[in-house]
Amino acid sequence: MNISGILVIVSPQRVESMVDQLNGMDGIDVHHIEAATGRIVITQEAESINDEVNGLKRIRALPGIILAEMSYHNFEEDNELLDAIPAELADEDLDTVKVPGFLNE
Amino acid sequence: MDVTRREFLKTSAAAATATAAGITIPVTALAKSKEAEAGVQWDKGVCRFCGTGCGIMVGTKEGRIVATKGDPDAPVNKGLNCIKGYFNGKIIYGKDRLTQPLMRMTDGQFDKQGKFQAVSWERAFDEMEKQFKKTYKDMGPHGVAVFGSGQYTIPEGYVMAKLMKAGFRSNNIDPNARHCMASAVVGFIQTFGIDEPAGNYDDIEHTDTVVTWGANMAECHPILWARVSDRRLSNENVKLVNLTTISNQTSDIADTEIVFKPGTDLAIQNYLLREIIKRDAVNHGFVKKHCVFATGPYDIGYGMRATSKYAFDAEKDIQAKELKITLDKDEAIAQRRKAGEVVEQKNTKKPVKHWMIGFDDFKKGVEPYTLDFVAQLSKGDPDEDLESFKAKLKGLADLYVDQGRKVTSFWTMGFNQHYRGSWVNEQIYAIHLLLGKQCMPGNGAFSLTGQPSACGTAREVGTFAHRLPADLVVFNPKHRAFSENIWKVPAKTLNPKVGSHITKIMRDLEDGSVKWAWVQVNNPFQATANANHWIKAARKTDNFLVVSDPYPTVSAKVADLILPTAMIFEKWGLYGNAERRTQAWREQVAPPGEAMGDVWQGLEFAKRFKLKEVWGEQAVPGLAADGFENGKLPSVLAEAEKMGYSPEDTLYDVLFANKDNRKVKWPDNSVSKGHANHIAEKLGDGWFPEKALFDEYRQFGVGHAHDLAKFDVYYRDDVRGLKWPVVDGKETQWRFNEKYDSYCKKGSGFDFYGKALKALPGGDLDKVTNKEKTSLAGKAKIFFRPYAAPPEQPDENYDLWFSTGRVLEHWHTGTMTRRVPELHRAVPTAQLFMNPSDAEARGVKRNDVVWIESRRGKVKAVVETQGRNRPPKGYTFAAFFDEGVFVNKVCLDVTCPMSKEEDFKKTAIKVYKA
Repeated sequence: MNISGILVIVSPQRVESMVDQLNGMDGIDVHHIEAATGRIVITQEAESINDEVNGLKRIRALPGIILAEMSYHNFEEDNELLDAIPAELADEDLDTVKVPGFLNE
Repeated sequence: MDVTRREFLKTSAAAATATAAGITIPVTALAKSKEAEAGVQWDKGVCRFCGTGCGIMVGTKEGRIVATKGDPDAPVNKGLNCIKGYFNGKIIYGKDRLTQPLMRMTDGQFDKQGKFQAVSWERAFDEMEKQFKKTYKDMGPHGVAVFGSGQYTIPEGYVMAKLMKAGFRSNNIDPNARHCMASAVVGFIQTFGIDEPAGNYDDIEHTDTVVTWGANMAECHPILWARVSDRRLSNENVKLVNLTTISNQTSDIADTEIVFKPGTDLAIQNYLLREIIKRDAVNHGFVKKHCVFATGPYDIGYGMRATSKYAFDAEKDIQAKELKITLDKDEAIAQRRKAGEVVEQKNTKKPVKHWMIGFDDFKKGVEPYTLDFVAQLSKGDPDEDLESFKAKLKGLADLYVDQGRKVTSFWTMGFNQHYRGSWVNEQIYAIHLLLGKQCMPGNGAFSLTGQPSACGTAREVGTFAHRLPADLVVFNPKHRAFSENIWKVPAKTLNPKVGSHITKIMRDLEDGSVKWAWVQVNNPFQATANANHWIKAARKTDNFLVVSDPYPTVSAKVADLILPTAMIFEKWGLYGNAERRTQAWREQVAPPGEAMGDVWQGLEFAKRFKLKEVWGEQAVPGLAADGFENGKLPSVLAEAEKMGYSPEDTLYDVLFANKDNRKVKWPDNSVSKGHANHIAEKLGDGWFPEKALFDEYRQFGVGHAHDLAKFDVYYRDDVRGLKWPVVDGKETQWRFNEKYDSYCKKGSGFDFYGKALKALPGGDLDKVTNKEKTSLAGKAKIFFRPYAAPPEQPDENYDLWFSTGRVLEHWHTGTMTRRVPELHRAVPTAQLFMNPSDAEARGVKRNDVVWIESRRGKVKAVVETQGRNRPPKGYTFAAFFDEGVFVNKVCLDVTCPMSKEEDFKKTAIKVYKA
């Protein structure tokens, strides 16, 4: 589970409509708004970084976006994702005080 | 994860983001976020990856890094992070971290052919020492080498440079940064007489025009690109132009994309120079007062070996071009010669020499570069209409010459990794200087870097084969004397002979002129072009290779001894970014197992050498400098005794833990604030090596336009790095501009005070005509450099261009980022980006596996025809992070002859279905 804080900047006239659009998107919560400067703070919750990046792209593709960039990331409690590392690094017998098997191949 | 915890984390993420953006949030939200972060200790840090130098906050809890966030107080990134930066905390938790030294052994003895087995540090150093001393005795200081790094912290680079140069009297230390920005360095030294940019990142917010040349900033410098995008989108007058050989993500928000043929950036630059003159846009006042014109020889080769003895049969035709070439029709026009003329490469030994010319000569030089000539030569997309391409070049000239417009040019590897990389660097300054658009807010040519301390360590500390700290060089007797004085070592300890650059160290291992090498903070056996040669060389029976790394990399696999190494936030360190900003961090968590920092490894190795073993007379073949007997470094032992040293003293005692440095005590609570220092604690002799050595190092630059602040200053809570020169506690925003730079002469306006190469003979475009040297004190040089054709180009057999580079999600050879599951999942493997019609013509489609084959080797990759990179017909690209798609087996090891930086961008390949 990835949780990221994202800063979105739009022209001040568009803040309201942007907030509505963002609220309608999966995994997105709007937390803070500074209407005068067009700044909106959202969080995004996503299963994987792929989804996270795609989510960010989705936001950037909205009309009127000046900037959408991540600022904060929390990576507690996602050790299950370790299965995804490259096969040669995912040696089951890998014990860090021993020699990684593939070094001696 | 339960719902309450998740909500807490979201509140916390939102509060951090709002704080970063300077948005006031309700006190209740702030309180909630504090609750979510209860027990997390935050401290400032610097990103481990590219040369941008983003500030990050590192959160630790119970001895583990649990979160990172963009540092809202960091002026570079203002609280933002890119996707890699985001995962800084995770790179240290890869499942296969090395935690014990590993050595190839059979029956309890070191054996080159043996299997890796865990050994103690003591045993590891014993073997390292034994092998070193054997080679050193047989071959002298030039028989050993260190592969250094642009990712060394400043103290790490300093320890190794001093140990090699003053201790072992060898200049065979060269960083992977050679592959990354050596051409930029040559451009700086040649043009300004001093290294590193005049401007800073604030140029982005000041400029009206951003031109990127061979820099895919959207993927490779995303945070700076966010600043550029912000500037572009918030101001309609701002224009962006992206010059590239393949259509990439940087093109996505550019106003104009110019796709050019590899190597023809040189021609486009000359077109712009010609146009500036034709349109009467030369800033004559500025040029007359602050600049001179210069040129040099064209027949400087391509940085390959001069012999074909070690070449594979298939690469001999290209290698032969090191000796002579036949000019093609475009080169002939560009160089005012005849097509078909055979040109012997006579200046391969002195490619850097140059002389002053007049403005009329300069004009004559650029005269052939008309729009018609340059457009037909440089158009990179065969499907683009020539007239449309011409209009784009003309439009680019319009932007540069516009008097009311500020222009910032950025570049990275497209310029630097180039068979004429130093020339293209010089030429971009030529454009800005001729216009008088340099060293002012928003106006200037700005070299971006790729590694976190390519500037701060590799360049400023001088971990290059020819450098000493603060722009000093080993071949200058005054510079050596100055360094010997600061280092308190006898006169003539330092070796005046330039050592081997990183590609040459590889070649030395292959031909037997280096037999002991230590790899630190880099992965050169994956990152060096033409890798098949070097992997074989590493395994040669009489070579001994040590690799220090946290992970089992390609380089580790071909080593004889692997030393487990502490990573970024497991040690104290300082980095210097591309805008001259020096930044520091503390040790946040302990390294795992027996892993130890590189500083400790260097110091511990130094303990094993007595002065009498290294400071006696040493043979250095080819050494022929003033004051030295040919081929020999003298014994300095007698002089050392006069200075109070004993021949029995160790290099550790004399160079590092000496009387002065031991006064700098660990623990040091005022700066450590409760953080540990595993290195000081393991040494256990009461000194604080990082601080003592940094404050010793800074003596080189103080008063010499390289002033750094004291160690403690960088650790202050209110400091987020400082841009050197730091004079009277104040950083310098724009160098060479009197308004901002206290080193400029009063009343000068601009003062290019750099001291290197500032006396030149005079001549015309072809030769020196007046040998008497004239001083150019205070002036910058505007070079004329002609277009020269790439030595390897597609032909009937190898019919496609191939370039390598980065993707956003991974960094360099992927040894860190591939161990972050999220990043690996995002981009698990390097794809071969190609044009759909090229794929179709070869009977392959998207997701097919193909062979990529060049004269040097072949690798398999999966084809991508629709991704983020969209090459025109005839061009291909694959990133180099993936050891499974080992693209450097394919790449050509041509270098810029001046900078010795490899050209990873122009190999001819063929592609066929696997």
